[in-house]
Amino acid sequence: MVNGYAPQTLREALEIKRKEQVSPYGGGTDLMVDHHRTGTYLFLHRIAEMQEIKQDDNYLRLGAGCTFTEVQEHALTPPILKEAISRIAAPAIRNLGTIGGNIGNGSAKADSVLVFFALDAKLRLMDADGERIVPIHAFYKGRKALDLALDELIVEILLPRVIPTRYVYHKIGARAALAISRLSFAGLWNVEGGKITACSTAFGAIDQVVVRIPEVDKILIGTPVAELDSVKERYLAAAGEAINPIDGRISAHYRKTVCLNLLDDFVETMKKA
Amino acid sequence: MSIPFTLNGKPAAYEGSATDRLVDILRKDFKCPGVKVGCNEGECGACSIIMDGVLINACMVAAGRAYDTEIITIEGFRETEKFAVLDRCFAETGAVQCGFCTPGMILAAECILTKNPNPNEAEIRDGLSGNMCRCTGYNAIVHAVALAAKEGKGLW
Ligand SMILES: Cc1cc2nc3c(=O)[nH]c(=O)nc-3n(C[C@H](O)[C@H](O)[C@H](O)COP(=O)(O)OP(=O)(O)OC[C@H]3O[C@@H](n4cnc5c(N)ncnc54)[C@H](O)[C@@H]3O)c2cc1C
Ligand code: FES
Ligand code: FES
Repeated sequence: MVNGYAPQTLREALEIKRKEQVSPYGGGTDLMVDHHRTGTYLFLHRIAEMQEIKQDDNYLRLGAGCTFTEVQEHALTPPILKEAISRIAAPAIRNLGTIGGNIGNGSAKADSVLVFFALDAKLRLMDADGERIVPIHAFYKGRKALDLALDELIVEILLPRVIPTRYVYHKIGARAALAISRLSFAGLWNVEGGKITACSTAFGAIDQVVVRIPEVDKILIGTPVAELDSVKERYLAAAGEAINPIDGRISAHYRKTVCLNLLDDFVETMKKA
Repeated sequence: MSIPFTLNGKPAAYEGSATDRLVDILRKDFKCPGVKVGCNEGECGACSIIMDGVLINACMVAAGRAYDTEIITIEGFRETEKFAVLDRCFAETGAVQCGFCTPGMILAAECILTKNPNPNEAEIRDGLSGNMCRCTGYNAIVHAVALAAKEGKGLW
């Protein structure tokens, strides 16, 4: 094939990646937008090892080559991830775009990435010599700056087997179906014995990378649901300190206000549920 | 070394660059002018085709991604009984005006019905959400798909 490789095994793909300058090609829905027809693509769609979704003792393992549609339709996929995906573009894009590509594009607006942050996902990266496993927050070093060596591929996204069962997901954007989200929020929590026992939030598109504030989330953990009102103010104040959106097309001030409103609403939802 | 795939049921191979846009190749090299080019950005659905059973935008695909896949364009789908039903229902409901979006709409409709032979309105609208029409205002197209589900009972 001219200007491309379409290997059938991961081993072959990793050997090509080591020897040649190639861009991994998942669904192409980011690559084809700035398409200059230069360079060489390493097509990943024939590699079975990258298209699987399976569970082991520790993780739910999502192959990086799975399309949004495949992840959305799979019985093992957590509901919050299904919902986030259902709000991405239109079916024809979801049928092409992969979760590995959503991560590989390095954007803080990527919608599945927001959920992966909120779930404290890990990434399984491989080169021809072996693998390493990196927490997703450590993988993102800045805008378009990823902890990914030239000869490595993202092979799997590892989600914890046990995740909080309750969630909210918001995507606030210009257009419902097709626009890349302007601001997004994922919040998950658990209640046991009338108390909040887990809480995890993430914000997309407010900074160079997805924002997590675990030290603020912790404030709510251990709080009886009936007493959420009394800690809400402290929680929102701490969040206000921790969240510092960057200025972009929308002002930082506006974004921060939206974030705090979303958190306010999040606590209100916890009270009701 | 070429890029082998199946096009409308027949074996095909592309000898050019794996980075070429599939939409251009289908139109020029494989004589499928029913694959339209609108935005070239994945936003309008004019270039919709079916690849391995699902709807995709051919403008968002590099040739090498077609390696080993099965592609159906409107040229191939036109030969089917399902097309005949959809075509008739689109005509009956006034879902075709200039016709630019129609090949993409018909293939989107085919994918909606394959997945779910009895879609409700929300499911039809979601299935068509990536296909833009400048002329009809969509309601007629939604009706056409609903009508096809009825008239083509048993086909999907
Ligand atoms: C019309 C339209 C609407 C969109 N709407 C949304 C939206 O609402 N939300 C959203 O999040 N995104 C959206 N996108 C962006 C895009 O669809 C997603 O980011 C998608 O997940 C990209 O995946 P891909 O497989 O197509 O990526 P590709 O284009 O194949 O790759 C993207 C980048 O990741 C690298 N890469 C891919 N796979 C791997 C791998 N396994 N290992 C290492 N690197 C890899 C590539 O080299 C490239 O740099 C939209 C795009 C379009 C065209
Ligand atoms: S031309 Fe492909 S989506 Fe518009
Ligand atoms: S009929 Fe003209 S664009 Fe749809």
